[in-house]
Amino acid sequence: MQKTGKQSMEKKLEKQYLVMVLPGFVIFTIGLIIPLLLAVRYSVTSWDGMSKVKEFVGIQNYINLWKDADFWSAWWFTIKFTIGNTIIQNVLALLFAMALDSGIKAQKLYRTAFFVPCLISSIIVGFIWLKMFSNVLPEFNEMLGTNINFLLFGSGSTVLSGLLIANNWQWIGYRMLIYLAGLQSVPFDLYEAAKVDGAGPISRFFKITIPMLAPAITICVVGIATGSLKVYDLLVASTKGGPGRASTSVINQTYTTAINGRQYGYGSAMSVTLVVVLLLVAMIQVKGLKSKEVQA
Amino acid sequence: MKMKLLCMILSTAMVAAVLSGCGNSEAEAPAATGTADEAEEQTEAPTAEEAETEQTEAPVADTGEPVTLTVLAGQSTTDAGIEDMIDEALAEAYPNITLEWECVDWGNDFQPKMQQYMQSGLPDIMIGKAQDVATYAPQGILGEIDTTYLDRGLDAARQNVTIDGKTYGLVYNALYQGVYYNKDMFAENGWSVPKTQEELQVIIDDCKAKGITPFASHMVDTWSIGNVTMQFAMNDVFNKDAEWGDKFRAGEVSFAEDEAMQTAYQYNKLIFDNTYPETFSTEQTDCDAKMVLGEAAMKVSGSWSIQNFLDIDESFNFGIFPFPNQTGDSKLIFEPNITIMTSAESEHQDAINCVLDVLTNDKDLAVEIYDYTKTAPMLKDVTPTFPNPSQEDIDAYASADQIVDVTLGNNQLVWGGFQEENAKDIAAWLQGDISFEDCLAASDARVGTSSAN
Amino acid sequence: MGKKKKNKEPMSAQPYTKATFMTQIVMTVLAVLFIAPILININYSFKTKKELYLTSPLSLPSSLQMENYRKAFDKLDLTHTFVNTFFYTVVSVLILALLCGMTAWAIARCRAKFFKFCYVYFIVGILIPFQALFLPIYIIGYKMSLTNTRYGIIFMYIATGISFGVFLMNSFMTTVPIELEEAARIDGCSVFKTYFTVVMPLLKPAIATLVIMQAFQIWNDYLLASLYVSKKNLKTLTVAIQSLFSAQTSDYTTAMAAIVISVLPIAVLFMSLQKYFIKGMTVGTVKG
Repeated sequence: MQKTGKQSMEKKLEKQYLVMVLPGFVIFTIGLIIPLLLAVRYSVTSWDGMSKVKEFVGIQNYINLWKDADFWSAWWFTIKFTIGNTIIQNVLALLFAMALDSGIKAQKLYRTAFFVPCLISSIIVGFIWLKMFSNVLPEFNEMLGTNINFLLFGSGSTVLSGLLIANNWQWIGYRMLIYLAGLQSVPFDLYEAAKVDGAGPISRFFKITIPMLAPAITICVVGIATGSLKVYDLLVASTKGGPGRASTSVINQTYTTAINGRQYGYGSAMSVTLVVVLLLVAMIQVKGLKSKEVQA
Repeated sequence: MKMKLLCMILSTAMVAAVLSGCGNSEAEAPAATGTADEAEEQTEAPTAEEAETEQTEAPVADTGEPVTLTVLAGQSTTDAGIEDMIDEALAEAYPNITLEWECVDWGNDFQPKMQQYMQSGLPDIMIGKAQDVATYAPQGILGEIDTTYLDRGLDAARQNVTIDGKTYGLVYNALYQGVYYNKDMFAENGWSVPKTQEELQVIIDDCKAKGITPFASHMVDTWSIGNVTMQFAMNDVFNKDAEWGDKFRAGEVSFAEDEAMQTAYQYNKLIFDNTYPETFSTEQTDCDAKMVLGEAAMKVSGSWSIQNFLDIDESFNFGIFPFPNQTGDSKLIFEPNITIMTSAESEHQDAINCVLDVLTNDKDLAVEIYDYTKTAPMLKDVTPTFPNPSQEDIDAYASADQIVDVTLGNNQLVWGGFQEENAKDIAAWLQGDISFEDCLAASDARVGTSSAN
Repeated sequence: MGKKKKNKEPMSAQPYTKATFMTQIVMTVLAVLFIAPILININYSFKTKKELYLTSPLSLPSSLQMENYRKAFDKLDLTHTFVNTFFYTVVSVLILALLCGMTAWAIARCRAKFFKFCYVYFIVGILIPFQALFLPIYIIGYKMSLTNTRYGIIFMYIATGISFGVFLMNSFMTTVPIELEEAARIDGCSVFKTYFTVVMPLLKPAIATLVIMQAFQIWNDYLLASLYVSKKNLKTLTVAIQSLFSAQTSDYTTAMAAIVISVLPIAVLFMSLQKYFIKGMTVGTVKG
């Protein structure tokens, strides 16, 4: 008796919960999911983005993607950019956080200094670094009589490092704050206990700090990877994908194909591919890192 | 306590925002359109249906009924600001018409915006470049321009915006493209304007011997590579074979086999070898500044550089000549620039015509715009008054009939998706990332997107 | 909730040694390097066009002229764009705060399969690169008459912001003791009443963080604003800045002044509400 009563109660509750979820669910579906589905539909047409007819071509667009050298080179750049960011941002942000947590004075001041760049939108960040590399930094060569190549955006071989500098300048402070909060939540007694046990600083770092930071690391790695795979704004005002195609990202390539090249169907196939990859990457990373967290 | 403070700030902000928001939507509607019952139109995009209902309620003409026209302006760097001039002139002639401007960058944002509006309904007026007519007119969305207004413009303006006998664009001004050169520097060194590649080479060699950079260039801007490549192609390819682009699509000619086209591509290398080593990091303004400061002798460019030149030094003395081709018969290139197109479905045709009337009839406005943009007029009997040291060169080429409209090339090989993409390959080739053969092959592979239709 | 006691005063716990001093120096140098591009940018914004070309980028402007700011002020149409951006931001963020809290809580509490699906469904949104979907997004908006309206752009900000919001609020739910909710329910409260009287007050810090983080996203948004609001009196600050950028490529100094103008409000907001900001970004990253 009680059981059935509980069940009907649960059903009633469920309905009420449903009402709470529904508005968000509907808005989200209309605003983002339906456009995504539309893109999937366009991706099997040869639509140019303008005319009324959207001719069905099956998976032809996806087959063409396999043979599209520009598309692959865009992926290659995006992957390099993602890996570079993941490593640099995590390592440096963690180092910065540890330095700030080491008891230095005026911690807040440093925190603000490192964080401010991330308040600026990516478009402007790109613009600022364009000026830095081509106008401001070369000035130092003249002042100091050195001959450092600061024209990082000017050549296909250095443009990646230039963009990594700009992107990490923008985001390190953000990641640093995440790690800083993680570090500050590690109970001091843990370190003390380890010290008593005779663990050195390095061993303490790997045995205590890293495991305690595991959730933060998960968030950072996934955030950086998915963010970097979607890179676009940063390029718009800086390299515009150049020189040549050296810094053309997947979204960049999608945009120029779909819009400037008037191949909306083909471009949609590119974006669908990107969404699938993003989902896979996020899933794999979360699964992998979470399992590590549990062990730790 | 901080929490409380935060809550207070937020709630004040919320109230303030809601108030200002409400106040705005009420207060602004009449201000922007001149009448309260236009409020409905205000919130809606310029859709055809919407316009239709408006029409039945209030037929608009010169009768003084207030009308708001939407305008999408794809602007080049030199054009920004002319919208205020037009507004002012219009307010005087037709105070009942208000223009609702949406100004975007032509190179990056005009096409996406057009694609966007083709889904919903075009703005009443669109301002782009002459080559846009070839892209959008075949979609059947552009309106014909009345001959009253066309007749006030130069005949040369009409040619490339006319499709099957119907003219869809009103060309307002033109840019000249070619090699801008430092006149004083040329005089000091005893160089004369080169007509052939050999003569050009002599100047380049002399420059190098004297420590002057022969060419100013800013290859960081892929568009500038695309632009000069079309200049080269005009004189070496299209002037010899006016249908090269169509033949290319028919499979009769190709980049991999056509020597003339390859020569045009190769000139990029000539520039690259004789320009600033940091050209891939030099932006247009810096590039132009260096030229004005005498660091470089020449620059393959267009009228858009004049504004920069004169901004930096109003007494800079420069001229222009066409980039010499293989046969020594290069023509100066002119590009119809600001081109006004109208929506075929607009129900405010009368009001649109009023705007066209102001644009073509108001000579003061025209002079103001030409002076501001430092461009050449495409209206009859209008002469800009800005100092343009290169004007005498332009006049000389014009009177010798050595001028060619680049729209010919741009219509056959479109900018977006083709020229622009080829320019990226050329950049990659110049940087040594791909071979010349790959660069040509890539252009050939892009044949499918070489035309807008 | 197993939250470990925070190590509140690391400074007193750690002695200021030589190593700390060295760290301090290194970090100072780094902090200066981080701030330098911004300072150079501000310096640019006071220069005249001629100074920009003819003097070293590092030199100070000859006079502190405000011409660029005046011009940027004018070109950005600040009286409209600022109010608009502010309005869109505040309204979207408040609705988001309400919706995300409700949604996340329902998802966290209800065990039915549909709610599990919902969680994944919402999280997918974080990964969707909506730059690549701009045409469908516009088409949907147009078909539903959302374009060029104030509520349309706000609708889209909610649609695109809700993923992150639900994710954020969901990670906070562990801090809400279920016992309290159960007690409320035994007292006969409906789900809604429980949420608004018991849960929401407990979520205040979470909501504050959400509000701040989304505010900063929406304030900086360019793409949606450029798609949905093209009318002059509805435009946002970023759209105005972008057109200033592309139109005035030859006029960096004005562009630089515009950058300063646009970043200032959000920077002030950050400085004054730093605590909540940091809490928001670090949610779910602290082992509890």
